[in-house]
Amino acid sequence: MTEQKQVTLKINDRTVAVQPGTLVIEAARRLGIEVPSFCYYPGLSLQAACRMCLVDVEKAPKLQTACTLVALEGMVVRTETEQVKQARKAMLEFLLTNHPLDCPVCDKGGECELQDMVFRYGADESRFVEEKKHQPEEKWSELVYYDAPRCILCFRCVRVCDEGMDVKALGVGQRGAYSVIIPNREDHLECEECGMCIDICPVGALTSGTYRYKTRPWEMKYVGTICAHCSNGCKATLSVRNNEILRANNRDLSGINKEFLCAKGRFGFDFTQHPERLKQPLVRRNGKLEPVSWEDALAEAAKRLKQVHEEHGPKAIGFIGSNRTTNEENYLLARFARANLGTNNVDHHRSADYAGLIAALGEKAAAGALATMQQLGEAKAILLVGNNPTEQNPLVAWQIRTAIRHHGARLYVINVNAIKLRRQAKQFVQVGEGAEPAALRWLAVGQADLDTGVLTELAALKEALEKESDVVIVFGAEVSGAGTRDLVAFGAHLGGQTRFMALGDYSNSRGAADMGLLPDRLPGYLSIEDPAARESFGKLWGAPLPEKPGLDARQMLDAALASKLKALYVAGANPVKSFGITAADRLGGLELLVVHEMFLTETAKRADIVFPAACAYEKDGTVTNTAGEVQLLRKAAEVMGVRSDFDILRILSHQLAKMGLGRAISLRTPEAALEEIRRNVSGYDVSQANLLLGSAEATSPHSPANGRAGYVVPAGAIFSSLDTLFTSGSLGRYCRMLNSVPEARAKP
Amino acid sequence: MTLPPQLEAKFMELVNRYPTKRSALVPMLLYAQDAMGHISDEMIAEIARRLDLNTLQVTETLVYYSMLRRKPAGKYHVQVCTNVSCMLRGGYRIYDRVQRKLEIGNKQTTADGMFSLEEVECIGACTGAPALQVNYDFYENLTPVAVDDLIESLDAGHKPAAAACTSGALHPRHPAEVPVISRRFGIPNSRTLEVYLQHDGYKALAKALNQMTPEQVIEEVKKSNLRGRGGAGFPAGVKWSFVPKDTTKPKYILCNADESEPGTCKDRPLMELDPHQLIEGTVIAGRAVGAHQGYIYIRGEYRYVLEIMDAAIAEAYAGGYLGRDIRGSGFDFELCTHTGAGAYECGEESALMESLEGKRGYPRIRPPFPAVVGLYGCPTVINNVETLSSVPAVILNGGEWYANLGSPKNGGTRLFCISGHVSRPGIYELPMGFNLRRMIEEVAGGVPKGKKLKAVIPGGSSCPLLNAEEVDLPMDFDSLAKAGSMLGSGGTVVINEDTCMVDLARRIMHFYAHESCGWCIPCREGTAWLRKMLDRFHDGGGREEDIALIGELSKNMLGRTFCPLGDAAALPTISIVKKWRHEFEEHLKGRCPYRPAEVMAAAL
Repeated sequence: MTEQKQVTLKINDRTVAVQPGTLVIEAARRLGIEVPSFCYYPGLSLQAACRMCLVDVEKAPKLQTACTLVALEGMVVRTETEQVKQARKAMLEFLLTNHPLDCPVCDKGGECELQDMVFRYGADESRFVEEKKHQPEEKWSELVYYDAPRCILCFRCVRVCDEGMDVKALGVGQRGAYSVIIPNREDHLECEECGMCIDICPVGALTSGTYRYKTRPWEMKYVGTICAHCSNGCKATLSVRNNEILRANNRDLSGINKEFLCAKGRFGFDFTQHPERLKQPLVRRNGKLEPVSWEDALAEAAKRLKQVHEEHGPKAIGFIGSNRTTNEENYLLARFARANLGTNNVDHHRSADYAGLIAALGEKAAAGALATMQQLGEAKAILLVGNNPTEQNPLVAWQIRTAIRHHGARLYVINVNAIKLRRQAKQFVQVGEGAEPAALRWLAVGQADLDTGVLTELAALKEALEKESDVVIVFGAEVSGAGTRDLVAFGAHLGGQTRFMALGDYSNSRGAADMGLLPDRLPGYLSIEDPAARESFGKLWGAPLPEKPGLDARQMLDAALASKLKALYVAGANPVKSFGITAADRLGGLELLVVHEMFLTETAKRADIVFPAACAYEKDGTVTNTAGEVQLLRKAAEVMGVRSDFDILRILSHQLAKMGLGRAISLRTPEAALEEIRRNVSGYDVSQANLLLGSAEATSPHSPANGRAGYVVPAGAIFSSLDTLFTSGSLGRYCRMLNSVPEARAKP
Repeated sequence: MTLPPQLEAKFMELVNRYPTKRSALVPMLLYAQDAMGHISDEMIAEIARRLDLNTLQVTETLVYYSMLRRKPAGKYHVQVCTNVSCMLRGGYRIYDRVQRKLEIGNKQTTADGMFSLEEVECIGACTGAPALQVNYDFYENLTPVAVDDLIESLDAGHKPAAAACTSGALHPRHPAEVPVISRRFGIPNSRTLEVYLQHDGYKALAKALNQMTPEQVIEEVKKSNLRGRGGAGFPAGVKWSFVPKDTTKPKYILCNADESEPGTCKDRPLMELDPHQLIEGTVIAGRAVGAHQGYIYIRGEYRYVLEIMDAAIAEAYAGGYLGRDIRGSGFDFELCTHTGAGAYECGEESALMESLEGKRGYPRIRPPFPAVVGLYGCPTVINNVETLSSVPAVILNGGEWYANLGSPKNGGTRLFCISGHVSRPGIYELPMGFNLRRMIEEVAGGVPKGKKLKAVIPGGSSCPLLNAEEVDLPMDFDSLAKAGSMLGSGGTVVINEDTCMVDLARRIMHFYAHESCGWCIPCREGTAWLRKMLDRFHDGGGREEDIALIGELSKNMLGRTFCPLGDAAALPTISIVKKWRHEFEEHLKGRCPYRPAEVMAAAL
């Protein structure tokens, strides 16, 4: 952006210089001067409706609204004159005429902007003696309730739903003093249930079905952590009382998501308290899973792993890791499999071609070719191939809309379906089922078997993109292997800095790949066939590492069904479900199935040993979002009986070491593991201080020149579970509030 | 949804009338209601589908407009005006009479579905007060007996003839009158193109197109001192000159015919008796600023006026005075009407634009002003009917001639609607600066029955009231401002000594509370609070401290609301509390010492 000459103005006799176009209310904030407001909300359209921000401007005939007034050179503004104070007091008096003073029982009491304003600027007595308006509270959905008399009509909810979400589920009914907010289906809502309206409401007019009447804000502790669901890595503040999570929001507007959270982030935390939650280890005895002590379960697991190792060798053992466990846990699992049990049969459900993207980018990956969430939100042009971010990656969708709204970004979409984001696209090319790779092939090399209609549209899209610069290219699981290479090749010849973002499914899908839960890759995408890489990690982990790539997840399951794999160790995944295994009961000839789980999933049901695991909200560690940004998890609550995957693996490694299998893992805490990761995993040498401060640290792994130009993806290895806003793999079914809304039942 | 053929045709025409489909929303809703009796959920979905909107967007617009309803009304929907001009001449007696006759209350329907009743705000029949509308038909100068007859006839299946034109528009000319824009009033068939052409019609347009440059047209209008007749009095020529010349965007001329300021009914006769004069003025405005499209936004209640305008526009197209290459000049101008659906706020220029774009009539943040960013985000000139109707005379006779008709800086003449307690209520064209006392006493025949004058609303109910001692002043923008009031819309309401000023303040506040759009806090909450308080006060529940509080709350609104509606509610209230404080004090004894409506009805 070109530097413009700043304008200088005076506010309360202090001078401030701001960019031309800055609003006086923002200029005042720059000086630390608060100008109160309800309807003004940065990022949303201007209203000037609440009149709280009236200020005195020299030479103006009457008070002006600071939220619409653009700072001009030489302007003299006063925010604390008698007239201004009197005006504020009058506005608050007007507002309180119909506002019920039920603060002692109002959910918002203690964190209500109206309460705060009246405390600071209001009158100490009421002169209103007429009858107040009465209206019953309305339940708009299981998640959203509306109390009309409390509503101060700032229209924030209407705007965030329209401008921010492009949902337009809220409007204004009636007029004058009878004005109310109305939902889109007469008496109820049909929407994305994001709850943004609740969070943005300055008063207690919109309340949350999960939180209302449960507690007072000052009785809770607030823990800023990362959402446990999709791969976008939204920061969520969990409000916790007595080890129970009562609410999730992003109250300090920090993190990559600022004010944004979707339904899952905001309401999908009740799985932690689900009655079916496993709280005791289970061991199969006489065909039945029976509760045992942790000591017994761990001893049994170690003993039987050792047994299989001895009888069938390391190649008969496989490991399937998780998309949700922390980086530290994934790192430990990669080490546990390779160094303790000596197998490269390590994989996870891959939902994005991260390894392929990083390989295709090569050195560019470390030089800014991976887009961060913020860069996406500030992009000038975006190409979206595959995926349906509105459902699968809600923050990505929000960032795309933000880029369009605030930065005039042009969005280009290639998709099989008429996804919702097409409404904001400059161009939408609808391709046939499975034809995204062909479209990319055509973009990259000008050859592909596509029908002429699509080719004409693609040509127009290509031409438009070639005129853009600094394009951010976002793609889903539809693109992998050769498709990824084509996309990178196409991006390489666009102007400026082309950036890429691959979209995976879950909170640490990216971290699982980064930490080497792949049969052919060590942490940091080092090839297992690279002797130097093997050497270095072997040294670090205290055992020589197997040389040949192992089986991928599907191959492991097939091998199990064919009785070639004898032991399968699943840490926080449900491969039976995600890979569509239909075989009843056990997985073929498996002698041992060990599962870390929160619930008795399809996979856990078939296990010999089940360890009840802590979830993301119950542990410390880090996760990496789909854009490759590492963020810190903070333990918010504790559930009796469960342990983190970190502890389970660590303890097991000690037991196996005693039996002569590898070296015991000496990392006692996730912090210690992170330190090892920072030193040894490509791209993870991020600032620990920044992590601790709650920021998202971009990782920039680069594909070292270790002899492999491309990354070979086995057919069908990369696929998305196609979660919606209301599903979350095996976790979604245990989120009662998410499942309570009718939208959860309707497939998009 | 299958629609009746006529409605289907109307929908098709409306959907294609505007640059954006959504603009058709309010008219579609109103025409759908006319055809079906009300707007059903199915109709909402149908309209949403046709306009590419979601049903919420349709619903939230629908519920804003007071004429639109979700439930059926009677076959005859009786709408009785009780606003100030009607109230002063027995409007409440009429309303009570209808209630008793039909045995239903406000917004109720008779069991047989024949009649429904609604107390409505000013319908623009102030010089024919008391008045009511049955559906779109006006019945004016009513008496309780006349109301009985009307209802009985309707019940018997016979519809009595509605008012042929605005009562008070046609009358013997008073010698003081200077007919300029009303000069064709009273000529038979004055609304036809043929008669219009016989009386200098479209001569000014020919002059503007063939002999003048656009700059010269603007210059002439500037010279005329023609000031906005909607109420604000902004010089029209200056407004026109703000329109950017070097823009690639289309430009629009908007005629504000949403006449709804209580006490005002001048635009109605200007359109029904001389529609071509307005068309001519609008085309000249288009020529001056380089606009090629105009809209006349007519309040929904004036349906027959809209139909007259439509017929005149069709004639003008046929005669080559509208459309492509007007009269061989090479200048193109398209014009059509647009109906409102019951919202005073839509008379505010930016709210009118929102409404015309098919949205709730909320005013817009200014700056930018309409001349730069107006309708559809394009440069727009918006003028009142009377302003645009004055333009042909200005162009034909010259700005100087026009300016000299009035007082300094207040060019020309003005249509004053004199209503309330006068012997000859009516619409009179008088030079700007005409003395108010003479206007009341000589022109309108003075206060009847020997009653004394108590107060005057000089230019619509938004103006501070004048007391009997203050009426010796010239009626122009500047003199009224000097006297602490406003010339406003020219709706002069005369109030006699029997009238309860507390009741008047109460009625005025009811109007503004009803019409507040609800956008900003002070207007929304302030008018509602004051309405409740004035009701209580007038009913005998007043407290001494309320008197000061009424004034103070009004001042808390004044100058702090989003648009001038808050000021409009505050100004008359402040003036009444200040000038007639003793009447408030008298009410503290428990009972209103005046019974205005009934006293007047008996006196008539």
